[in-house]
Formats: sequence, structure tokens, C-alpha cells
Amino acid sequence: MDGFAEKLASKLHHYSVLPFSDVNGTVDAVDPFVLTNYTFFLIIAFVITLAFFLVAARRVSIVPQGIGQVAEAGYEFIRNLCVDNMGKDGAKYAPFIGTLFFFILFNNVIGLVPGALPGTGSIGVTATWALMVFIVYNAIGFKKNGVIGYLKSFVPSGVREMGPGGRFTLGPFIFVLELVGHFLRPLTLAVRLYANMFAGGIILGIFGIFMILGAQQLGALGITMTGFGFMMLVIMYGFKVFVAFIQAYVFAILTSVYIGGALHASEH
Amino acid sequence: MFVGVAYAAEEGGSSISVVPVLADIWPSILAFLLLFFLLRKFAFGPISSTLDKRAATIKESLEKAEQTKVEAERMLEEYKQQMAEARGEAGKVIEQGRKVAESMKAEIVAQANKDAEAIVAKAHEAMEAEKKAAIGELQASVADLSVAVAGKLIGEKLSTADHASLIEKYVAEVGSLNDN
Repeated sequence: MDGFAEKLASKLHHYSVLPFSDVNGTVDAVDPFVLTNYTFFLIIAFVITLAFFLVAARRVSIVPQGIGQVAEAGYEFIRNLCVDNMGKDGAKYAPFIGTLFFFILFNNVIGLVPGALPGTGSIGVTATWALMVFIVYNAIGFKKNGVIGYLKSFVPSGVREMGPGGRFTLGPFIFVLELVGHFLRPLTLAVRLYANMFAGGIILGIFGIFMILGAQQLGALGITMTGFGFMMLVIMYGFKVFVAFIQAYVFAILTSVYIGGALHASEH
Repeated sequence: MFVGVAYAAEEGGSSISVVPVLADIWPSILAFLLLFFLLRKFAFGPISSTLDKRAATIKESLEKAEQTKVEAERMLEEYKQQMAEARGEAGKVIEQGRKVAESMKAEIVAQANKDAEAIVAKAHEAMEAEKKAAIGELQASVADLSVAVAGKLIGEKLSTADHASLIEKYVAEVGSLNDN
């Protein structure tokens, strides 16, 4: 298995955040205003998402037709998701959730193209969006319930209605627990998406390396390695396609659940 | 991943950082916000309103269809009733026509019978009259013949009065014979 470590290192290097103009270089600190390899594909995803919806929106009419139907079905899916998780007012937040979902989805799908990277494979991208979601849903929570009302909702009504003994001992404890939970939300959002997209590429890379190394071997071992590598590559690619959709969906649905929780915080 | 980091570090390549890079942060938030505002204005807004419009249109169409159906059913019922009425009316008219025709037929037949009877009676009368005339003629010629024969036999001529009485007597005899 000579060269496995080097090839893996080079693969990992390929998936590192690097300046787009110098993806083979050994840059440890990326300049803040340089175009990175991930940002490059993020911009491509941006253009494709925008173009798709601008073209599709022109085809949208009372009688469903062509590409318009796809955009409509997608948007309706998101709108229903919002209404399901946020109640009747949910449709208002559909453009936000829709932008998140489709932008993430297009980024993930671009990552399926060999040689390309998913914009969502960079923690910088996913963490930014996760933090944005955190700010948005908390802002909605404060606006809807008032500062005190929203903070009070961190402690369940069951605890608030306890006697002073329970309220003042259990209350602060649960409040802190909830607060930590809230701060963990953007972290999990960011890492879940990033890790899934990043790992997808690495796994494909590993089986790709396996195949190449197998081809370099002679005899039954080489054939077995190459065959196994190819088989796993196909399976993992299928899995990656699935993950591309699932992760976009998970990010969108969790965001809508968080916003829904913030909207109805005073009811709990 | 940590293995990867270790490897990369050992190999002297760039390390995979799990720390966000600023160069990825600002483009992602900028791209997202720009995309959000553009899509909301030019795509999601129109799509959303079209979906609502479509829902409204479908609802309206369904309601209209329901109305039309109810109307159609009502009209059908009405037509059925009218048809039944018309059928009844037609039956009555036919029945009446038949009655009129039958009465006319009876009348015509009766008239024909009467006419036939009249014709037969007239024929009878004519025949009777002719018979009578023939008989009268016969009687006259018999009388004349008888007178002539008698004259020849007697060889003398009777007076006109004698003749007449004699003939009447004779004719009466002949008439009584004829009546039998």
C-alpha cells in the first residue's frame, strides 16, 4: 500500500480551504479577501440557483408548465414545510427557508460533480449560515414574545408553576440548560452540514485512491482491490447524492422548527 | 479527519482547519442575503402568488362546476317534467282524435247505410212504378185486345158506355187475378 498516505494527504489537501488561484500551494493562512476554492463554487452555486429560479419564475403560470412546475413544486414543498412547523404564519418565512434550502441544495449538488467542491463543504460557509439562522430565530423570538417573555419560555411552564422551592432551584438550572441548548443549535447546524459534505468528498477520494492503488497491483489482489474500490465508489456516490438532498432538507427543516419554536415560545 | 490532519501535518502539507476562514465567511453571508432578496422579489414572490391564484382559480372553478351541475340537474328535472306533461298532453290529443275519428266513422257508416237504404228504396219505388205502368199498359192492351176480340166474336159494335162498363168489369176480374 505504498503511496496511500501521500495520496490521502493530497486528497485532503484538495479539500482544504485554499486560494482558488493556487489550489496546489501550501498556504496555511488564507488571506481574508482572497477567492477560495470553496467560495468559487459557492458563487457558481449562487449563479445557478438564481438563474434557475429567474428562468423558472417566468414559466410559472396558472396552468402548470415546464420548468416552472419544478420550481413551483419545490417552493410549495418548502412553504408546506414552513406551515407545518410554524403554523399559519409560516408561509411568511418560506422565502428565507426556501433560499436556505435551495442554495444549500445547489451547493451540495455541485459538489457531486467530479473535481468540483460543494460550497457547503467549508465550515466557514456553514457556520456563517448557522449563525445567521441563530440570530434570525432568536430575533423573531424576542420580537414576538418580548425579551422577558422569550427568556421566560426557556423554563417550561410546568417548572414556572411549581412552588418557590422548585421554581428557584430547578428553574435556573433548566434555564441554563436551555440556554446552552440554544447555543449548541448553530454549532450542530454548521458542523452537521459541513461534516457531511466534507466527508462525502473524502470518502469518495479514499475509494478512488483504493481503486488506483489496486490498478497498480498485479494479480488477484489488484483486481479485487480495484473491483471493491469501484463498487464502493458507485455505492458511496449514490449515497452522496442522497446526502446532498437530505442535508439541505435537514438544515431547512431544523431552521423552520427553530423559528416555529420562537414564534410560539410563549405557548410552552 | 483528525487522522487526516495528523497525516497532513506529518507530510508537511497544509492542515485541514476546522476553524472558519474569513475568506469564506463574508462571501457566504453576502451571497445568501443577495440571493434571498433577489429570489424573494423575482422568484418566490411571483411563484407564491401564482400558487395562491391557482388555488383560488381551482376553488372557483369547482364551485362554478358545482353550481352548473346543480343548475343542469334542476333543468333536467324540469325538462323531464315538461316531457311527461307533453307526453300526457299528446296522449290526450291522440285519444281525442281517436274518439272524433270513431264518431265520424260511425256517422259516415250510418249515413252510408241510410243512403244505401234510400237508393234501394228508390230503386224499389221505381221498379214498383214501372211494374204498375207495365201492368196498366198491359191492362189497356188486354182491354183493347179483348174489345177487338169480343167485337170480332160478337160481330157488332157495342156503344161506348157499354164498352166501358164491360171493360171495367173485365179488368176488375183480371186485377183480382193479378193480386193473387
